[in-house]
Amino acid sequence: MDERFSGFGAFILYTITAGMMVFILAPLLLVMAASVSDSYFVTFPPQGFTLKWYAKVLQDRDFLEAMRLSILLALGTTAGSLLFGVPAAFALVRGDFFGVAAIKGFLLSPLIFPALITGLALLQVLNKLGSTDARLNLLIGHIVVTSPYVIRTVVTSLQLVDENLEDAARTLGANRLRTFWRVTLPQIASGVAAGGLFAFMVSFDNYPVTMWLANSEYSPVPLVLMRQLVNVFDPSVPAMSTIIILMAMVGVLILEKLVGLRRALAA
Amino acid sequence: MTTSDEAVAVLTVEAPPVARERSRWRFALPVGLLAAPMLAFLTYFFFYPALGLLFSSIQTQDSRGIIGRPFTLAHYARLVNVELYARVLWTTLRISIITSALATVLAYPVALVMVKSRPMVTRIITLIVIAPLIVSVVVRGYGWQLVLQNGPKGMLNWILMTLHVVDAPISVLYTETAVMIGSLHVFFPMMVLPLASALGKIDPNLEDAARMLGAPWWKVFLRVTLPLSMPGFVAGFTLVFSLTAGSFVIPAILGGASAVMLGNLIEQQIFVVYDWPFGAAIAVVLVGLVLAVNGVSMWLLEGRRLRRPD
Repeated sequence: MDERFSGFGAFILYTITAGMMVFILAPLLLVMAASVSDSYFVTFPPQGFTLKWYAKVLQDRDFLEAMRLSILLALGTTAGSLLFGVPAAFALVRGDFFGVAAIKGFLLSPLIFPALITGLALLQVLNKLGSTDARLNLLIGHIVVTSPYVIRTVVTSLQLVDENLEDAARTLGANRLRTFWRVTLPQIASGVAAGGLFAFMVSFDNYPVTMWLANSEYSPVPLVLMRQLVNVFDPSVPAMSTIIILMAMVGVLILEKLVGLRRALAA
Repeated sequence: MTTSDEAVAVLTVEAPPVARERSRWRFALPVGLLAAPMLAFLTYFFFYPALGLLFSSIQTQDSRGIIGRPFTLAHYARLVNVELYARVLWTTLRISIITSALATVLAYPVALVMVKSRPMVTRIITLIVIAPLIVSVVVRGYGWQLVLQNGPKGMLNWILMTLHVVDAPISVLYTETAVMIGSLHVFFPMMVLPLASALGKIDPNLEDAARMLGAPWWKVFLRVTLPLSMPGFVAGFTLVFSLTAGSFVIPAILGGASAVMLGNLIEQQIFVVYDWPFGAAIAVVLVGLVLAVNGVSMWLLEGRRLRRPD
């Protein structure tokens, strides 16, 4: 225990912190426990042990279809937001033009705008355009929401790049593209990867934009899960949720390995 | 001095700055253009739609669902004057403010412990605080539905009844309290992270100095730590408030009919009533609320230069 905290103050601090850790973990652990409970309704305390709800979920056509759609959508979103976001980040860090700060503010503004309204506003415009393909609409909406995350992480890693190395490469005769590819990109690779992974996860979990742009034919995982919450009361809902929790944990661990979580989120 | 000496001098001393100056100048235009696709994309699919929504909110919808003239502010008046809708506005404000305040009080100790403990403890707390952020909000809402479930089969009620704290199951689910608990869970990391980053920047010597001069721990906290961590607090409060005010999933799962928030009202107006102008007006009010809070926070952080520890 740190010497900085002592006596009664330390006791309060550690008690509240421990309490909050329980608060954070309890609902997630309960969901996981309920997913293997051998009863027809979700109750507390969970009873028995069975994997049959997982078997049921993995045969659920709606869920599998949603999984496929969500993964494809998240992949497309990742590709799209990297394609738009990485060059934009490059321009923001290296560009020396008028209004860089204002443009940066504009490009990051979807982060403070309520996502629910981003989706609603986009729905209105897409309706007017007559764009009825839900998959395309979802892709556009998700890129709007995820690209600021990519820009932010890539900007942070670009600011750490040693420009002298680029100057050296240029002096030695490499052209601009080659310099970017062989000198700059390796230095920002982990930032780009983190931004991409972030885009994937934000897209996969997104509800507030998705709810406006999806339709009954193309419903991503969060929407299907929400529908199941209302209509199904057996432990297949916790089983689905647990699958989503485990996928998120894998993502978190990769992110932590790539750049460290706090940097990825609070940058 | 010979000519070759001069050349060497020029090469070693003068050349690098000149070359760099020129290359930066030549870089300026093409590098700026790299932002153009992103700028165009967001202008068309984010900025323009947002303006469109603002525009619809002052227009009238006819019986065929076409939105046009005359311009009117009636939709805004309806939100404030009709008691049913005004109540939703107040509920949203109340839930957002209480959730942010709760988050502040509870995040402070966590952030302090996170910053000042041994690396291993810091790592574990960071992981526990951040990991749920990446779990779908629907899943987290569902988790709280299981915890708070009314009747004796819910976890909270089972615990309370087993410990004989209460004799009959209490009803928390489908109340404002449930929405606050769920929102606190979902947005708690948004308060801890800025606070931890602000606390991490405080020079430990300042606290040591205060302690050495005889201040008790609570006075060190109130007079040194707390004032210096204000930027983190302002950033965190703004984030939690904005996100709570704009939420849909948590009130939909945990609030039921008794804690409807602006987001749920908008969804209802668009998907059930098909009243686009009214839905748009509520959306504009929500955005205005969020932008106002963000504006105040930016003013506090930059305009008045709330003392930044860096």
